Amino acid sequence: MMSAEKKHMALAICTGCDIGNCIDADKLTDAVREAFDGISCISHKSLCSEAGLEELRKFTREKGVDRLGVAACSPRVKTAEFSMDGIYVDRINLREQLAWVMEPGEEDTQMCAEDQTRMVLAKLDTIKENTPYLPEQVYSDVLVVGGGIAGVSAALEGAAAGYRVHLVEKSDRLGGYAGRIYKTPYNEIDLSARTSEVMSHPGVEVHLETSIESISGEPGNFFVAIRNSDSATLKVGSVVTATGWKPYDPDKLSALGYASPRVKTLEEFEQSVQVEQPPDRVLFVLCAGSRDENHLSYCSSYCCGAALKQALYIREKNPGAEVYIVYRDIRTAGFQEEFYKLVQADDAIFMTKGVIKSVSDLGNEVEVVVGESLLDEQITLVADLVVLATGMVPNTTSDLKLQYRLGEGLPELEYEFSDSHFICFPYETRRTGVYAAGTVRAPMDMEMSQEDGAGAMMKAIQCIECVKRGEAVHPRAGDMSYPELYMERCTDCKRCTEECPFGSYDETDKGTPLPNPARCRRCGICVGSCPERIISFSDFSINSVSAMIKAVHVPDEFKEKPRVLVFVCENDAYPALDAAGVHRLRYSPFVRIIPVRCLGSVNKVWISDALSHGYDGILQIGCKPGDDYQCHFIHGSELTEQRGENLQETLETMMLEPERIQTRFVEITDHHEIQEIINDYVEELELIGPNPFKDM
Amino acid sequence: MVLIERLNYLGGNVSRFNNYFPKLCPPACGLEINYSRIRSNPRISYHTGASVESICGSDGDFRVKISVEPRLINNNCTSCGLCAEVCPEERPQKLGRKAGEKAAYINNGLAFPMKYCIDPLVCKREACGKCLEVCDYDAIQLNASPAEVELQVGKIIVATGWILYDAARIENYRYQEEPDVVTNLEFERMLAACTREKTKLTRPSDGKTPRRIAFVQCAGSRDVNHLPYCSAVCCSTSLKHALTLESEYPDIHAEIFYIDMRLSGRNEKLLKQAEGKERIALTKGKVGRIVQGEGEANLVLEVEDISKGFRREDAFDMVVLAMGLTPNHVAAGLKVNKYGFYLPEQRAGIIPAASCKRPMDVSSAVKDATACALKAMQR
Amino acid sequence: MGIIKPDIKFKRELGRLSGSQLNQCMQCGNCSAVCSLAPAERPFPGKEMVWSGWGLKEKLIGNVDIWLCHQCGDCSSYCPRDVKPADVISAIRHQTYLHYARPRFLGKLVSSPAWLPVAIAIPVVVIMAILSLAGTFKIPEGPVDYSAFFPHGLLNSTFSAITLFFYLLASFGIVRFWKDMKRLTPPGEAGMKKFPIARVLGEILSHSNFSGCGSQQLRKIAHMSLFFGFGLLILVTLYAIWATITHNYPLPFTNPFKIAGNVASLMIYSGLGIMVFQRLMNRSVFGKSSYSDWLLLAAIGLLTLSGTLVELARFGNWSVAYHLYFFHLVAVWFVIMYLPFTKMGHIFYRTTALLYARSIGRK
Ligand code: SF4
Ligand code: SF4
Ligand code: SF4
Ligand code: SF4
Ligand code: SF4
Ligand code: SF4
Repeated sequence: MMSAEKKHMALAICTGCDIGNCIDADKLTDAVREAFDGISCISHKSLCSEAGLEELRKFTREKGVDRLGVAACSPRVKTAEFSMDGIYVDRINLREQLAWVMEPGEEDTQMCAEDQTRMVLAKLDTIKENTPYLPEQVYSDVLVVGGGIAGVSAALEGAAAGYRVHLVEKSDRLGGYAGRIYKTPYNEIDLSARTSEVMSHPGVEVHLETSIESISGEPGNFFVAIRNSDSATLKVGSVVTATGWKPYDPDKLSALGYASPRVKTLEEFEQSVQVEQPPDRVLFVLCAGSRDENHLSYCSSYCCGAALKQALYIREKNPGAEVYIVYRDIRTAGFQEEFYKLVQADDAIFMTKGVIKSVSDLGNEVEVVVGESLLDEQITLVADLVVLATGMVPNTTSDLKLQYRLGEGLPELEYEFSDSHFICFPYETRRTGVYAAGTVRAPMDMEMSQEDGAGAMMKAIQCIECVKRGEAVHPRAGDMSYPELYMERCTDCKRCTEECPFGSYDETDKGTPLPNPARCRRCGICVGSCPERIISFSDFSINSVSAMIKAVHVPDEFKEKPRVLVFVCENDAYPALDAAGVHRLRYSPFVRIIPVRCLGSVNKVWISDALSHGYDGILQIGCKPGDDYQCHFIHGSELTEQRGENLQETLETMMLEPERIQTRFVEITDHHEIQEIINDYVEELELIGPNPFKDM
Repeated sequence: MVLIERLNYLGGNVSRFNNYFPKLCPPACGLEINYSRIRSNPRISYHTGASVESICGSDGDFRVKISVEPRLINNNCTSCGLCAEVCPEERPQKLGRKAGEKAAYINNGLAFPMKYCIDPLVCKREACGKCLEVCDYDAIQLNASPAEVELQVGKIIVATGWILYDAARIENYRYQEEPDVVTNLEFERMLAACTREKTKLTRPSDGKTPRRIAFVQCAGSRDVNHLPYCSAVCCSTSLKHALTLESEYPDIHAEIFYIDMRLSGRNEKLLKQAEGKERIALTKGKVGRIVQGEGEANLVLEVEDISKGFRREDAFDMVVLAMGLTPNHVAAGLKVNKYGFYLPEQRAGIIPAASCKRPMDVSSAVKDATACALKAMQR
Repeated sequence: MGIIKPDIKFKRELGRLSGSQLNQCMQCGNCSAVCSLAPAERPFPGKEMVWSGWGLKEKLIGNVDIWLCHQCGDCSSYCPRDVKPADVISAIRHQTYLHYARPRFLGKLVSSPAWLPVAIAIPVVVIMAILSLAGTFKIPEGPVDYSAFFPHGLLNSTFSAITLFFYLLASFGIVRFWKDMKRLTPPGEAGMKKFPIARVLGEILSHSNFSGCGSQQLRKIAHMSLFFGFGLLILVTLYAIWATITHNYPLPFTNPFKIAGNVASLMIYSGLGIMVFQRLMNRSVFGKSSYSDWLLLAAIGLLTLSGTLVELARFGNWSVAYHLYFFHLVAVWFVIMYLPFTKMGHIFYRTTALLYARSIGRK
């Protein structure tokens, strides 16, 4: 759908920073004028300087420019300088991705500059006015699911920031797991004070003995059906889920003797120690089920501290008792080391590293055989009670009952944790507006859970505010565009609903997609997935990219000037290309670069467009897939790989070499690799030879 | 939001890291997302080279005096790099620093802000002035002097982070005498430099490729003679280093000497990965001493391999000390705990965040900072 | 090893004797790493610290390694938990004297201040008995002549007999000790060498194990002074005994043996001086010195001091001369008769342990 409004396009060329030495700006202007009727052009020797900007502003005012191509440096620099009210500005990266990486003064470099400029201008020509997605009503209340330490903290902190909070708890009391424990000697958390504070806080509505029937809608407009004695619907803007954890199923630990009545779990002992005197000899087995490929591969993080704590209980309740602790590593990180020492100050607590070989109940006592101990290669210890420090398993998030086509819970990643980019963006899940807090997202102790609740609440509030402004949240925070569907042509193929990593699309009974733009993260994967090509953003659409592809002048096959279309992911690959420029790493001038929101947003039609337009090859560069290097849009890169296989078939039916299309994954610091990737690919392509469709 | 940063670039320590654990992914990836938000969000401004002089006032109405060290290059800078090309002065060689880096320099290709700056200690100022001649953008101000800026703010988040414990104080590890005994932070920067410049790791003393590298855990931490607490990140860091070496250097053998391998949660994965590797050895035992040996591999570690019950005197080419972390302070007279870290509770309106409160990894720091941002929004 | 029965009493006793919070040990092995005497295979004192933490008496008594330790204190100064392994090892050595002591009560007698009066009473009573037996209970008039009051022949013979008797009892302990060492630290494949007496003697005389320890050269000097001073005094005393039997006693002051005795006393004074000074100044390295440490230092000091005074008293015709002599005899008893049961017992145990260690090739 081409825009019908009156528009005036312009091009501003900067000849500073080597650009002017590298290309002929006048020739570039001529080329552009030839391609775009009535375009206004200006050039300046340092466009970003005050003088340059002044001149540019005057120029745009005088000409009534509303779309401006700035042929200068990367959009990643001088961003504020080149933002102009009322004008859609796009940048043509002639510096980092041209002047700094290609041979100056060469014909090929000039051609590249002209092509890249035409591409961006062609795109500017197609884009529509953006009207942000602004729902009529945006609710500012936050739902917190789970009244444990993280949930209580989230509720209190959110309410203190002026947001109304609904705290929903399944059981009849707040406090969660932490509320049931005997003592917390090494955490300065006064849980009961916190829970009574939350109960009486005017900004928090506590719903006890309440379950969630369903959550439907999207950020800003979630409808939460809850049920206790009767049913109600809460209207909230976002959700913090803090449903906590459960102990690892001890029945799976029969090798550690769990079947015996003389073998308990940490949890069982925590309860029993409150009502009965512990026996004279108690042995703790740490890492019971944790750090074990056959059970939980991760470290449950809390159990070392918890076992040490319980050792103190035993000594307090039965001063004649002896406690044996068999550990693999004592993990009392940070200041908890002090607690470790405190426990060791009691010399009736005996500790040894070791690996449990067997636990056998002898009828009146338990015999534990320990290998690899420091006392001896193999030792036998005898105790009256064995306590297994069982691990922490996150509770399922399907209790959220999300009425999403892609499931009721948060999608789980490695180890069944729901957080998607836990190092840099610890609260992000794959459901926009739903933030996981506390032990439901990763094992952690009480202090960390408390902090975690506050952090997740911050994200929940941020999400509401973004929705109010019509902006995307992480990672394209501030993006005001969103995907729109031309439903008339939709065939209900369900590709978009299945491939959207964030579950944006629901479905009607007939299978027609129902978009929820506020759930959308603007990755564009649905643009790439739709075979009918009906999904588009105002500035990123099938048409806009096709126009860019076609704006390139492809020389005929006898010129020996191959053309390579490069789709580059904006998240990591694009900055890496820029860094290659900063490092002045040379690469081939035959590439024509199109930045995309995510490699997953590349639609097949662009590939065939490019091939029929005469490009000799297509290179796609994106983020590394997999658990250890997640694509910012979770599985965009993986999708590209999968789709790549289909593409190869298409190529074969077109009688083209499959090697013409290649996909490469890089890290953001791979500027050297990206140079190699491009150069190697161009070299390989020269061997394959020109695209036979060139002159068609 | 006004961001005050002491260094010339944002990102703190991690912006010069090679990778994060447990994913072994580059910090720049997450930083870039945040930088791009700062770039396009008019509600955030920042000062680099800035340090706090004083804080007056109270919650809701603080006046913060900051002094801003000039970068000697102003905002006009386009990062064209001509100044560095002509600059005749080199910054002193430092581990992880690009060899021959000029007085006019930029951190790396992904630095933020993407602007050059001039090392005031190296630059000869007007006596040279070569850069002035080439800069077309009036960006260089060699005689700029420190500026005093006063900010009015409602809340103050203190996120001054950490610094390493002084390695020289552990005399039995001979950090000061042996160039090939380096701290984990130095090693991290060396690896980052290798990635950045696509060079190979060499050892500081003679530029040769090390073949055996030892990692000494709890260097300064968990030790009543130094820091009594555990620094929480160094076990994961050393495993990360070992795994990085393993995947990139087929000739390097790494051995980690530890007391307890402290990896919480999913960081356990690092251990699982390392355990299967032929070129990574994990040895339980705290290194007693590092003494001078003969020949090329001249750093002899005295250590008991506790699990085997064997006392070793083993020679390595290079030793990485997994140093403990200590808090980095700001001039604000904040309350500290017995280890010198900031207490979470300060006078109203001042909110300490992340690793100036306790040693923590990146993920915990980010989450705590997020929580503190919310606290700053509360009245 | 079979069933481990932690012995908390023994553990606490070690803690009490050493003044160490030994349960704080985190089994890091740093102590074995910094110890310059620790052998490569199964080094000490790390494993002993683990065993101590569980009170594993049967592994610690009869352990050869605790005798290889010369208590330089390096391990204590570098211990990250300030557990003072050097002192714990020393406490184990102390427990060893008690363990092998026969009759048992003699061991007890010298290991706690509560028993000190009894420990003193015994020699006093015995000497009184000898005196009354000889019937010389009256302090003689005129110039000091010790033989007029003390029946040297009777004294020498009873003292020698008692000493021999005690040492005989001790030798049974040593034999058991040897067996225990053999059981706990069996000889390796190479089997046992014939008694490497010459080597061990060389080690002892040259104090070579002291130079291994990094901490202090002074300690070596102190121990050497004591060692050779004490040895010399024994020689002098033996000569003196022989002299009383064969010819005239007392010796003139110009007698070379008399002079040697005085030189030996000086050596002991300086050695003791250094030791006391170090103990007081360097608490971090030496930890809390135990009762048995001080008792021994005091006994040797008083023995030597009273010897010197006895000599001076004779020279100066002091009226307290005979009292001093009496006191001297009690001191002799403390050092010589009680020797196998006090820290001096290390003369036997360490020598035996060194012999065993070297014969099985342990460093
Ligand atoms: S916290 Fe301790 S007991 Fe728990 S899994 Fe981790 S190492 Fe094992
Ligand atoms: S742009 Fe991405 S997040 Fe948005 S609907 Fe499409 S696939 Fe989903
Ligand atoms: S200061 Fe000037 S010469 Fe240096 S990089 Fe910046 S713009 Fe270029
Ligand atoms: S994290 Fe590991 S290396 Fe660091 S102080 Fe703790 S135990 Fe030591
Ligand atoms: S005694 Fe000290 S140095 Fe030795 S293992 Fe224990 S804590 Fe470590
Ligand atoms: S005191 Fe010296 S000799 Fe004895 S164990 Fe310690 S370091 Fe070794």
